[in-house]
Amino acid sequence: MKYKNLKLYISIFIFCACVCGGCRSNKDGLGGDGINPSVLDGDIGLNERFEDGIRVATSEFNPQSVMFAYDSYRVNPADKYKVAQVAAFMKQNRNVRLVVEGHCDERGSREYNVSLGEHRALAIRAALVSDDGIASKRIQTRTYGEEKPVDGRHNESAWRQNRRGEFALYR
Amino acid sequence: MRRFMISVITATLVVLCPRDSEARRIEVVKSSHEKIPVDISGIKHSASANGGLFIKTLQSDLKRSGWFTISQAGKGAVVLGGVFTEAGQFSTFKGSASNRSTGRAYFSRSYNEKASRVRSMAHAYADDIVYSVKKVIGMASSRIIMIGSRGGKKDLYSCDYDGANLMQITRDGAVCLAPSWGPEGKTVVYTSYHGGFPDVYKIDLSVNRRKRIAGYPGLNAGADVAPDGKSVVMILSKDGNPDVYIKDMRTDRLLRVTKSQYAAEASPSWSPDGKRIVFVSNKTKRPQLYVTSRSGGGDKRITFAGSENVSPDWGSNGRIVYSSRREGKYHVCVTDPGTGETLQLTSDYADYEDPSWAPDGRHIVCSRTVGYQSELYVLDTLGDPPVRLLHHEGDWYSPDWSPK
Repeated sequence: MKYKNLKLYISIFIFCACVCGGCRSNKDGLGGDGINPSVLDGDIGLNERFEDGIRVATSEFNPQSVMFAYDSYRVNPADKYKVAQVAAFMKQNRNVRLVVEGHCDERGSREYNVSLGEHRALAIRAALVSDDGIASKRIQTRTYGEEKPVDGRHNESAWRQNRRGEFALYR
Repeated sequence: MRRFMISVITATLVVLCPRDSEARRIEVVKSSHEKIPVDISGIKHSASANGGLFIKTLQSDLKRSGWFTISQAGKGAVVLGGVFTEAGQFSTFKGSASNRSTGRAYFSRSYNEKASRVRSMAHAYADDIVYSVKKVIGMASSRIIMIGSRGGKKDLYSCDYDGANLMQITRDGAVCLAPSWGPEGKTVVYTSYHGGFPDVYKIDLSVNRRKRIAGYPGLNAGADVAPDGKSVVMILSKDGNPDVYIKDMRTDRLLRVTKSQYAAEASPSWSPDGKRIVFVSNKTKRPQLYVTSRSGGGDKRITFAGSENVSPDWGSNGRIVYSSRREGKYHVCVTDPGTGETLQLTSDYADYEDPSWAPDGRHIVCSRTVGYQSELYVLDTLGDPPVRLLHHEGDWYSPDWSPK
């Protein structure tokens, strides 16, 4: 009898856990917004930092920055090809390593923006690892928050340019 | 004491935030409270430069404390007395404070300092007066650390609580973030990029030594030393997501406090008893404040008004000061995490950011940005007008007030 009740409780618990898990995913707005769910299945821990080495010249390969919406770390589906181009270059050049640099616009606190910039860099790294199969140990992240804008002006167009992830490739 | 302080606020303006269904009442302090007149005519000092500096510093400290005004000679509820003397390289002050109506002495004490530290002597006397009369920790002996951006170079600077004795602490000219004092007021932790990546460093100001205390892969930032000094809470991303961690400084062991895969955390700050942590998370898309226990779990959101709420500092008075985005501008707010009662301190057309409590639990230092120029200001939660801290060229921001 006792055993039977226990089984029932476990079933209820598992059911609730599933429902709650589902609720949480919905609340977070995941799925259907352009992110491969596999990217979000688990955090991909960073490996020990590597030395920067020599920067790959833009004449050899000029990666394009991935742009972000305000307060968002999601890689826009329209920008996925930029990530794929970097992945292709890294596959052709096995000795190349990457530092993904995350940046924000000047709005918001500086401390919050370094976290947001890191989240952006990690999202790009996760896409390279999960979608394109690049080894995670080849990719480091470095956030600059709002400290290194490409456009120093204070308007919407500058802010749009500054919310970005840059690819710094080294060999 | 707090009830008294609230009762002397003669008028409050109640503002309701219309945009948020869960808006709390926000009270904007509009007028001041009564101050106690102090008679300083009984202090005798030499006609020397240091004698003049001592009395001038004392007067300024008493006014800045917010509790006192300087009365005419022979009047005033608090009577100060004492003799300032100099002998070679040293200055001495034998001082007292008493209650005029009862005639009872609050205290009597002797101060000795090098002649070059006359201001410190006046600060110590002023803090004794504040404590003996108001039973509040004074702020006159405290210091403020901040980031200065001058000629495009960013470094740490510190100054006295009143803006005097500005000193440059680092000479890296590199991006640095969020300096925060240790509990004894002798060390500072902060984030610097001078080694290439954002790492957390600790500077021991008494011996001018810097040591890296967190250099994990990815982000190391937002460090705040626990009240017992034994551990540091910080943001790390080494496990693939920016989260709150506590590092035990003796064993180097890390405890992960938050695990929010779809959100970034920032700016953790310890509660005065070291049992809880307030931090920023954007788990609802916009940054808001949350409180968690030091062992993690059971996050509770505590800010609901304002589109963004960032940069919390949990004061020794139990109240949390933070920056809240309201109608497009950042303003300084104070909240009691127990009752949810919230006070908005600023309302003019400027951005007020990175607030930090003074040791008196009454004043707050923060940056005020207008036209992309940042200055530091001292605000008063009891309604005295804001006072600009520094008058040096450059951008000044991220101030942190020492705990003593």
